[in-house]
Amino acid sequence: MEIVAAVTAGLLASIGVWLLLDRNLVRVVLGIVLLGNSINMAVLTAGRLDNRAAAFVSANGVPEFAGNPLPQALVLTAIVIGFSLFVFALAVLRRTWERHRSTATDRVTEVAEAPAPNLDEKTS
Amino acid sequence: MLNALGLIGLTTLLAPWLGRVLDARAGWLLALAPLYGFVWLLGQMPVIAGGGAVVESIAWIPALDVALSFRLDGLSLLFGLLVTGIGTLIVLYAGSYLSDHHHLGRFYAFLLGFMAAMLGLVLADDLIAMFVFWELTSISSYLLISFQHERAASRRAALQALLITGGGGLALLAGLILLGMAGDAWQFSALSAAAIEGHALYPAIMILVLLGCFTKSAQLPFHLWLPNAMEAPTPVSAYLHSATMVKAGVYLMARLNPVMGGEDGWGSILVVVGAATALVGAVLALRQTDLKRILAYTTVTVLGQLTMLIGTNTTYGLQAFVIYLLAHSLYKGALFMAVGAVDHATGTRELVRLGGLIRFMPLTGAAVALAAFSNAGLPPFFGFIAKEFKYAGLIELGPLGWATTGVMIVTNALLLTAAGLVFIRTFLGRQGAYPRTPHEVSLPMWLGPMLLAIGGFLLGAFNNVAEVWLVDSAVQAVARGAIPVNLYLWGGITPAVVASMITVSLGAFVYLKRQAVRHWLARWRRVWQVSGDLLWDRLLKRIFIIAGQVADRFQHGSLRQHVALLAVVGAVFALLGTVLASSHGARLPTASPLSWAAVAGCALAVLGAAGAAMMRERIALVTSLGASGLGVGLFFLAVGAPDVAITQIMVETLTVIFLAMVLNGLPVVQVTGARNSRRRRVHLAVSIGFGLALTLTILIAIGQPLPGDLAAWYLANSLPGGHGANVVNVILVDFRAFDTLGEILVVALAGLAAALLLHRDDNAPAQGKLAHAEFGSVLLRQGLRPLAGLLLLISLVLLWRGHNLPGGGFIGGLVAVCAAVLIALGYGVAQARRMLRVPPSVVAGVGLALAAGAGLFGLADARPFLGSAWLFPGGLPLGTPLMFDVGVFLTVFGAVSHMLFRLMEKEV
Repeated sequence: MEIVAAVTAGLLASIGVWLLLDRNLVRVVLGIVLLGNSINMAVLTAGRLDNRAAAFVSANGVPEFAGNPLPQALVLTAIVIGFSLFVFALAVLRRTWERHRSTATDRVTEVAEAPAPNLDEKTS
Repeated sequence: MLNALGLIGLTTLLAPWLGRVLDARAGWLLALAPLYGFVWLLGQMPVIAGGGAVVESIAWIPALDVALSFRLDGLSLLFGLLVTGIGTLIVLYAGSYLSDHHHLGRFYAFLLGFMAAMLGLVLADDLIAMFVFWELTSISSYLLISFQHERAASRRAALQALLITGGGGLALLAGLILLGMAGDAWQFSALSAAAIEGHALYPAIMILVLLGCFTKSAQLPFHLWLPNAMEAPTPVSAYLHSATMVKAGVYLMARLNPVMGGEDGWGSILVVVGAATALVGAVLALRQTDLKRILAYTTVTVLGQLTMLIGTNTTYGLQAFVIYLLAHSLYKGALFMAVGAVDHATGTRELVRLGGLIRFMPLTGAAVALAAFSNAGLPPFFGFIAKEFKYAGLIELGPLGWATTGVMIVTNALLLTAAGLVFIRTFLGRQGAYPRTPHEVSLPMWLGPMLLAIGGFLLGAFNNVAEVWLVDSAVQAVARGAIPVNLYLWGGITPAVVASMITVSLGAFVYLKRQAVRHWLARWRRVWQVSGDLLWDRLLKRIFIIAGQVADRFQHGSLRQHVALLAVVGAVFALLGTVLASSHGARLPTASPLSWAAVAGCALAVLGAAGAAMMRERIALVTSLGASGLGVGLFFLAVGAPDVAITQIMVETLTVIFLAMVLNGLPVVQVTGARNSRRRRVHLAVSIGFGLALTLTILIAIGQPLPGDLAAWYLANSLPGGHGANVVNVILVDFRAFDTLGEILVVALAGLAAALLLHRDDNAPAQGKLAHAEFGSVLLRQGLRPLAGLLLLISLVLLWRGHNLPGGGFIGGLVAVCAAVLIALGYGVAQARRMLRVPPSVVAGVGLALAAGAGLFGLADARPFLGSAWLFPGGLPLGTPLMFDVGVFLTVFGAVSHMLFRLMEKEV
């Protein structure tokens, strides 16, 4: 199971990075989501998958094959934070489109950045 | 000691306010702080003169053995008296000088801040504390030089001074750390010559420390910042750039002389650099016509001479050092203040326009006369004794000393000429063509120069008093062994007196022939073209160009190149790590049995992702991304992580909604991938490499046995310690609640930031399309309301039961957001906002406050922050973790709804 999970995480990461390297900001945002999912899978897998009972304990004791609860807790918050990041990226995308009518990443840099101030004029 | 320092520091904070309320009169009140320090130091004189030291210390960074330890000995006392005494007069003076300036309060604050730093510098016994004060003086000097910051020249001078002294400061820090290591002690008083001078690190220490001292005290070739610093208001020049701060370097050299001065290199470097600085300063002084710049260059000269005198390490030399230091601070402070008064009264500092001022400004003139006599080294002033002892000290030194004496005779003669220029040319002779009709300045402006000048006279006339109370103990602090101190004005016909006579006649000669000398000097055009300032400007420009080139390499503005570089570096290091690990015997994990549900989830995740990467239609994109996320959720469910799975599915639902909403306003995704096919291949390789690295890293990691038994601990302690059966939830809200607090803070901040970006922007091009968010179908709208209510109810149930069953604040919050989505879609955002009653950002804020507030219970109980507290009403465990979880619920709900509403409002 671990091998399948690891390969899946790797594939998702590959596709995520591929999208991040795209010129279109829409696809960059999609890449962020995929990369986030991939890393979440990786963290959960790193907690070992041999015990697959849900981590619920009762007064009778701890179930024999309870999964590792710590990575689950980490991933749970990571998902929500990843979602916040995604919405923020969407907001940036939206704003960029409104301001510059373009979603090409390299083009955005050109139109959005003011030229650097000339230092000589100030000192002389 | 700490009292005086603390009082001045406190006054610094009060100064801006007092300056606003009382205007120029604030000076009289503020001057009390340095006056207190001065009186306190005077009170310590008997102890110090008796050979004792006053020590006070408070722990600062005990872990690093850095203490705020202060030690008052003869040298510190001398400097401390100068800092506080002249400081008192300067504060009064500044009030009159800048009385009409609208930022007078700020000026007071900078000045007093500097005073506290300088006093700390000379009193500190700890190496690191001394360094911190040292840097503080540089920074306050920067602020003071650039006080008239609307002028470009001031800004340039301030930056130059900061860069030069700050650069030296870096060297000094390195030097002090090496010094502390070599001497195995971090207190000046605990360092020993035996440990340091023989140490292998000694040359490095010496060079680094001297770099710091030379830059601070404007020694050749770092002298150029000092004359430029004259852009500062005159009180600053008088105080920082002649009497105190520039002497910090000299102070440190004197302080370290007992433990570092034994080697030959130290003495030779100090004498040669000092003498060269002195000569260059004196020659350049004569070429100036601005009174302030003349004084600035003579200050450079004096600093050079002081450096040289430390280097002599002879009986007379060290006595001369202390006397000269004292004499110079007195007369130079007086002269600067008087020049400021002249400037104030006549509106000019140009020599050619001045003359005959004694008629208008008799008091200032008298003060200048006294100070200039001391400056020129004429008897019976203190400056005379200093000069005599200087010659005597140099002659003691042998061959190097004789050569230096020759240089010094010329230098001192030029100093005498400069003194003549400042007094005779300005105050006597024909009346000048002043821009304004001069008048005598007010009391605070002539009082300072007068007191200092009289002080210089009295110390010379009653030199036995100075000897007993001040000079003796200071000399002992600088000297490597006990030195007999005996001051006198007349010691018979000695070589020193002969040298002195030559000096006076030469100086008088140059003064009389000053025009001829100037012309003669001007003939050496080639020499004057070598301007340090010009070189400095070129250097600075080069540095900016190089920095720009370096920055351009890395800040090229291409997002794709940044991402690619990050991915490549990450992948390469991860792959290197796996190779290294496998060479240490790491193996692939033994595979656990496959779960078909998990495999199906993985397949769905990958297929969905591939679809998202290939498709262009917006609906298709949204759908396949959602499918991919659902696949991940299925995987989580199958491997025994129900809470994570539910969260993932809720988030995926919202992701699809948000994405659909934003893509709706955008055109079809046109461009895919790079146009250039070679770059496409590179990107493909980077992506595959990154994925491969991730896969291998996971496999190698899980091939090892899981270290520690964290999982077992959490499982075992969840119920007894956290009163919860859902271990994941207990970890989130109890065991690792501080982590969670940080995370919901991030969620809230991201919500605020995204909402700000989505704020209606009037500058944006008008939206062409006006969509209606509400559904047309009446049936659907009627059905939505109960459904939303049900969802809200479910979210509350999830929140409540989360501690023992799947659920919790995060999941509950996300479900509640879904309810909000339904309402907003069905009835419009305005209606949703009305139903919510409270703005969602406030909900998020309340949530954060609840979560953080839950932590305070632990604190109140003298346990760690977020330590849980429990009540058992009727056997039902109720605790702060529940409160914390409610906080999480509200934060997630508030932050996400906030973004949602803003986004949808934009849509309409």
